[in-house]
Amino acid sequence: MLVPLYGFLAGDTLGLLVQVHDDDPVHAIAEQIQLAACVRVAPRAQAHVYFRGQRLDPQLTVSKAGLAPMDRVDVVPEEG
Amino acid sequence: MPKLNREDWIDLARKLDWDYSHVREEEVFPELLSGRPWLPHAEWQHWDEPYRTSYAEYVDTQADKDAIVQGVREAVGRVEDFAKLDRSWLNGLKLHAATMAFTEFTAGIGDIRGARFGRDSAWRTMALFGALDEFRHTQIPLLLMHELVRWDPQFDWTHRLFHTNNWMGIALRHLVDEMCVGTDPLEFAIATNLVLETGFTNLQFIGLSAIAHDVGDRMFEKMVTSIQTDEARHAQIGHPVIATLIRHDPERAQYLVDKWFWRSWIVFAVVTGFSMDYLTPLADRPLSFKEFMEEWISDQFEKTLAAFGLKRPWYWDIFINAVDIYHHMVYASAYTYRATLWFDFALPGPEERAWLRQKYPHTWDLIDPVWERITERWRTSGPGIEWSTQGATMPAFCNLCQIILSNGTPRSNAARVVEHKGRKYIFCSEPCAWIFSREPDRYAHHKGVVDRMLAGEAPANIVELTRTYFDVTPEVRGEDMLRGRYPWLRAHRSDPGLGG
Repeated sequence: MLVPLYGFLAGDTLGLLVQVHDDDPVHAIAEQIQLAACVRVAPRAQAHVYFRGQRLDPQLTVSKAGLAPMDRVDVVPEEG
Repeated sequence: MPKLNREDWIDLARKLDWDYSHVREEEVFPELLSGRPWLPHAEWQHWDEPYRTSYAEYVDTQADKDAIVQGVREAVGRVEDFAKLDRSWLNGLKLHAATMAFTEFTAGIGDIRGARFGRDSAWRTMALFGALDEFRHTQIPLLLMHELVRWDPQFDWTHRLFHTNNWMGIALRHLVDEMCVGTDPLEFAIATNLVLETGFTNLQFIGLSAIAHDVGDRMFEKMVTSIQTDEARHAQIGHPVIATLIRHDPERAQYLVDKWFWRSWIVFAVVTGFSMDYLTPLADRPLSFKEFMEEWISDQFEKTLAAFGLKRPWYWDIFINAVDIYHHMVYASAYTYRATLWFDFALPGPEERAWLRQKYPHTWDLIDPVWERITERWRTSGPGIEWSTQGATMPAFCNLCQIILSNGTPRSNAARVVEHKGRKYIFCSEPCAWIFSREPDRYAHHKGVVDRMLAGEAPANIVELTRTYFDVTPEVRGEDMLRGRYPWLRAHRSDPGLGG
């Protein structure tokens, strides 16, 4: 099932609508949002996904991580 | 027959009320149409304004003003005159003209309601003049820009924007439909006459008209100064309305001011912020948008509030921080979604970015890396490759203001998700969420672009969405103004440069 999410990449100037599958791993969200914002922010190899202030395990699936349609997720690339 | 002195008859023409004997006052002025709190006319009978104009005087004055505008149009309002102007300024003009014409038209509707349901005859008289003013302000930009459509089809959006589902058109309609069409005369007077016209239009009438003078756009300068003389008059409606409201319901007065100041700010930041800090040639920028805001809006508005014994809006600190960065966030975002809009964007070069850093020392370093990235992509792709600096993923929009989610900073975007009756809403900022929470029934049913897309009412593919839903066809779609052919970019690669 597709799960639309509001995605915010640290360093970017706006929020984006991204759609992931409920069985996608959390790290796919980071990859998708970084790709979506790449005209404004250079992608980094490592990035973490946050939901309600908590860093999510990148290997969890979207549904296991508790993400539901229209939730806000934040992607914070690792420095360096 | 001896002629009466003006002072002996003028109030018979503009302020004449009487007691109703066959119907109740509440039936003539129902609360739903006249505004709340409903007060008997005795509470409004001292309503007055300083212009005290008769209809005959109004018509004479307006005829003179129109003759002057027409004279300027004949002298400097032709295609060849506009063709001499700086290209970035012309794109600011396209943005302004499109947002202005039908905003003024809807204000005319609000004024007409005031001309019938305003609670004192002097208010109703002034509202009638206000309606005529607003229709004049609709017609002037439509007339002037119509001349330019054959030369540049993007000017067609002066008329077209409000008739499309373009995201900026949806945002503007959401604002002005509520402000002018969906309000009673009391809220309209505070939202439009007091907050927008007294509070914000100085940005246009003083700020942009001075810039237009420096840029050499005599037609725009004359247009806005002519309009300003009307606005200065009918803006007077707001002061006696809020004075009465404060006496009877100060909490509602404060709420309406707080709500409409934020809603007005969001739109002015986009329209005027873009123009002053990005679409005016650097040499012609006397002040930054922030400096204009501080001098002509923030300080003046605080004085107005103090004069009425009102407090600054609760979100004042958020507003002050936003003045430093919000329009930069939106401009950088919109630059990368320019194909969804009807005007072209300027890429700020090294000199512009140095100026912006100087003017915005606390925030520019947060924005500049985005421009560095966009610039790098232009360098890599070479000129003319528009897609290399365009976003292809759907942006998200605020469920209150309908603008993209660009409040806060690149480090910490201020958007928040709120659940209401089983539906999730996202707001770009705390004030937008607060406005929704105060009147959820007013806003909850509205579908933003994302809602329409997810409901299958709008295409999910952004290219298709832009073309068929936003109504932006290839001949008008926004591009980089020089399509990447900037002299300062040329220094970094071996491309043909300007005109190449």
